[in-house]
Amino acid sequence: MELMKLEIVTPNGVIFDAEVKQVTLPGSEGEFGVLANHSTLVSLLDTGVIVIEKTDGSEVAVAINSGYVKVDEEKTTCIVDGAVALSGDDSDLAKALEEAKTLLKSTEASNTAIAAAVSKVEHIGKSL
Amino acid sequence: MANLKEIKRKIGSVKNTQKTTNAMKLVSSAKLKRTEELAKRSRVYAAKLTELIEEIAQKMQQSNAEGIDNIYFKDIPNPKKVDIVFITADKGLCGGFNSQTIKRVRQHITDYKAQDVKVRLRAVGRKGIDFFKFNNLELTDEIIGLSAAPDFKQAAEFISEVAASYVNGETDKIILIHNGYVNMITQEIKEDHVLPVDTSKLELSSVSTSELEVEPDDDDTLLDALVKRYIEYTMYYSLIDSLAAEHSARMQAMDAATTNAKEMVKELNVKYNKARQEAITTELIEIISGMESMK
Repeated sequence: MELMKLEIVTPNGVIFDAEVKQVTLPGSEGEFGVLANHSTLVSLLDTGVIVIEKTDGSEVAVAINSGYVKVDEEKTTCIVDGAVALSGDDSDLAKALEEAKTLLKSTEASNTAIAAAVSKVEHIGKSL
Repeated sequence: MANLKEIKRKIGSVKNTQKTTNAMKLVSSAKLKRTEELAKRSRVYAAKLTELIEEIAQKMQQSNAEGIDNIYFKDIPNPKKVDIVFITADKGLCGGFNSQTIKRVRQHITDYKAQDVKVRLRAVGRKGIDFFKFNNLELTDEIIGLSAAPDFKQAAEFISEVAASYVNGETDKIILIHNGYVNMITQEIKEDHVLPVDTSKLELSSVSTSELEVEPDDDDTLLDALVKRYIEYTMYYSLIDSLAAEHSARMQAMDAATTNAKEMVKELNVKYNKARQEAITTELIEIISGMESMK
């Protein structure tokens, strides 16, 4: 399977920069997945969760509040305002989940969008 | 010996000053480190955002032969009203840091006046505000405290107001001037054309050839959000950059002051010793001549 580059940038620096298989993004017009060789696209990102499928097949989730994404054939660049990665050990994860929920709730998005994102975060928390 | 006492007192006072300047230098260097770190981290974000906006602008230019008709990008050839936003420090004692910025702003005012352009000033930082108030020049907007502790929310609020006056036609151009950080010993005045977004210096090496899709697909939603973000972040980043420069300038100034104080103490010490010796010699002569006369 072909790989592509993914970069996630926040005002606090680059939090993710690696080759990935696939990434699922919470676009403002609905969730969409990106594989390598995707045509050029710029989209607004809504409050939600970015799911990254890494080269070894494992999944990483990153909760974001809002941002933009620029996709082209080789590279996907996410520019987000705030992000919390949901990974690590149990204790870290619990903390990250809490942080993610606070982050999601702090946005101005509609309540349903926040609720959907929070439930998704909770779901990921359980499955990990 | 009144003179001796006076010199001694002076030495003490210079030494005290030296202690203060040295402490200020240390404080500034610690703060600089922190601010530099902050600047480094936000630089990537700023760069990516700029890249994205430039790419979109370029695509728009390509697809539209007459140029871009979005209000944020429309270049107004002969601006009649210009807003200058400038950032200075809240505190002094940092060498020419503030005066350089003020000088540049004044130069702009003179230039624009010559072209019959109306200029409005928006000041961030106490030093700039004080200067223009003292010289009876009108400030449209002033904010204190933001340049000493950049806060994204506050910066965004401030610049949004400025941007709003651009959108409703009150002003044709917005310039942001601040004294930026280059390295530990150099600061440089930087000028950003906040609005309209400067499309003249677009240069992109690797532009993908496929057509750009935009979501949500009415152009303006995305572009408006992006431009808004871009302006806010430019403002925020300039504040951080300015703060880093302020600290480095203060560090330098205080370093120079400490060295000067050291030099002065040395000189005063020589003077003191000379005076002391002179006093002893005079006393000796008095004693000896007294003895001679008793013989």
